[in-house]
Amino acid sequence: MIEARAIVKSYRDGEAEVRVLDGLDLSVAGGELVAVLGPSGSGKSTLLHLLGGLDVHYQGEISVGGTRLTGLKDRALSELRGAQLGFVFQSFHLVPSLSALENVLLPSFFSRQGTSPRDARRRAEEVLARVGLEPKQGRAPAQLSGGERQRVAIARALFGRPKVLFCDEPTGNLDARTGGEIIQLFQALNRDGLTVLVVTHEDRMSQAATRVLRLRDGKLFPEAAG
Amino acid sequence: MTPGSLARLAALSLRRDRRGAAFSAFGVGIGVGALVFFVALGLGVGRVVREDVFPADASLIDVIPPTISLGSILGGGKLDQAAVDRLAALPEVAAVYRRMQVRVPAVSRYQGDFFGAPLRMGVELLAVGVDPGLVRRDVQMGDFSDPGPDRPIPAVMASRLLEIYNKTFAPARRLPQLSSSMVVGFAFPVEFNRSYVAQTAPGPSVAAQAQVVGVSDRGLLAGITIPLETARRLNRAAGADADTYTGVALQAKDPSLVPRLIDTVKRMGLQIDDQERRLAESTGAAVALTTSALALLSILICALAAVNIAHALFASVRARSREIGIMRAVGASRADVQRLVLAEAAAVGALGGLLGTAGAFALALGVDALATSYLPPFPFKPESFFHFPWALLGGGVLLGLAAALAGALLPSRHAAGMDPARALAG
Repeated sequence: MIEARAIVKSYRDGEAEVRVLDGLDLSVAGGELVAVLGPSGSGKSTLLHLLGGLDVHYQGEISVGGTRLTGLKDRALSELRGAQLGFVFQSFHLVPSLSALENVLLPSFFSRQGTSPRDARRRAEEVLARVGLEPKQGRAPAQLSGGERQRVAIARALFGRPKVLFCDEPTGNLDARTGGEIIQLFQALNRDGLTVLVVTHEDRMSQAATRVLRLRDGKLFPEAAG
Repeated sequence: MTPGSLARLAALSLRRDRRGAAFSAFGVGIGVGALVFFVALGLGVGRVVREDVFPADASLIDVIPPTISLGSILGGGKLDQAAVDRLAALPEVAAVYRRMQVRVPAVSRYQGDFFGAPLRMGVELLAVGVDPGLVRRDVQMGDFSDPGPDRPIPAVMASRLLEIYNKTFAPARRLPQLSSSMVVGFAFPVEFNRSYVAQTAPGPSVAAQAQVVGVSDRGLLAGITIPLETARRLNRAAGADADTYTGVALQAKDPSLVPRLIDTVKRMGLQIDDQERRLAESTGAAVALTTSALALLSILICALAAVNIAHALFASVRARSREIGIMRAVGASRADVQRLVLAEAAAVGALGGLLGTAGAFALALGVDALATSYLPPFPFKPESFFHFPWALLGGGVLLGLAAALAGALLPSRHAAGMDPARALAG
């Protein structure tokens, strides 16, 4: 499902060049729940952005769902993100002026499939129900708890029926109990066939993953899961 | 991104900052409103100048004999029947209307009932005879031909003279307001070869009655227009020149032929009396110049509004960088982001344009109402000082749209060029 070969990603820090990913290889099969562990600043988010086509400045080859991302034009890359990929972020990244339902509907505005507003709303209600938030769909993010906001963000990621869910520190801003619930939700989605790649610095995620990788010195190393 | 989705998302985005959007729309509205108001004022005043103050027939030119020419000394350059025949034979000419001034002075002394008010006055009068065809469309009594001696002379009154009477003379003398239909049939005494100021001819004065038979744009402003044959008869009786004409009005077959016709006439040693046309043109040019200056000022306001929109959108885009990152993550392309920013600006601009245009229209109604109530009557005072053609109304809305889009161009490109990964990282 995800193939990355010899990925090199560098940042310029003043005069110095910092190589955050250095010849990284990754292969994730469909239906896996992979946790990538690593301390802050190790390049986990950078890796996620590259795999999700949000950052196109790198060396190497990346394919997701059989589509080669490297060299893809912006429009095609955007279509791929809208149709096959979902993203969940640590700080939820909800639009504060929109209700929970409108936040979930956000991808529908950019869909090239011509979904009618009625069908889009039905789908948004469906995914909100899937994460247990249908009764609070009219609320603004500010009126929701941290766990609820993350559920809205997950519902938004699920709206377009993605093949892969990319999660960047999804439990980082949540307390232990709520974080545990979110991890359970990822497990449930994974059991339904969704490929999930989670980057985190929290070891508890490794308990839920089918495979655990550690990012160190710009490369991935396998670790024992569970 | 479909247009429907774009519109819905732009509406959602604008909802978050209603005050900012309203402020931007207000700026656009002020500029558009000022422009529409001043252009409508210019068009309205220009129309009054063109249609009422100097009503000009675009295909009609007035030919007069040259004031000084070798031709006249040698016997040429006169407007006699032979010259008229030569003018009539020109290929550009559709019709020829001769004019002959009554070459003796005349006065009118009136004493009696004047439309219900007593009036006693004496005025110096000019009279010009014209071919009936020139004013026939405005004649409402008889066939405008010479009635012969001892019968009332049919006279056509200038519509502008009636306007001046109604707006200045009548209010000053507390005389009744008159309409065109009211004055038709009104008879008044005229004495030819009599004057309070000018020297008269050696013969006796001739008393006659004149009767208004119509009111016309083509009538003599400072006098009365009578049948050509009547003028000829009066001149002959006074021993004055009854053979040459004081002018000839040429009707061109098409207004586009007028410049060529003017050239031909000048080559024949005759002059064109274009004093009124030039006055109309210079007045029209003054109105157009003033309107243009005010319109330019208004466009400057629109440009400032566009700069304001650009500032507001740059600030908005910066504040929404994370949101733009989210949009990119859920499937928005660079073009989608650019279109969204432009659509938001377009909505603000269209709203501003609409409000500005409506505001200008409402203000014009207010100004007209104030003018009706508080401005004293004056000649050619119009019912409305404004003219709002549909193109101006539509143009106002489009200008608002264009100003907002111009202001949004750079911010939208900035938003579209944002790196989504960096935007998400904040």
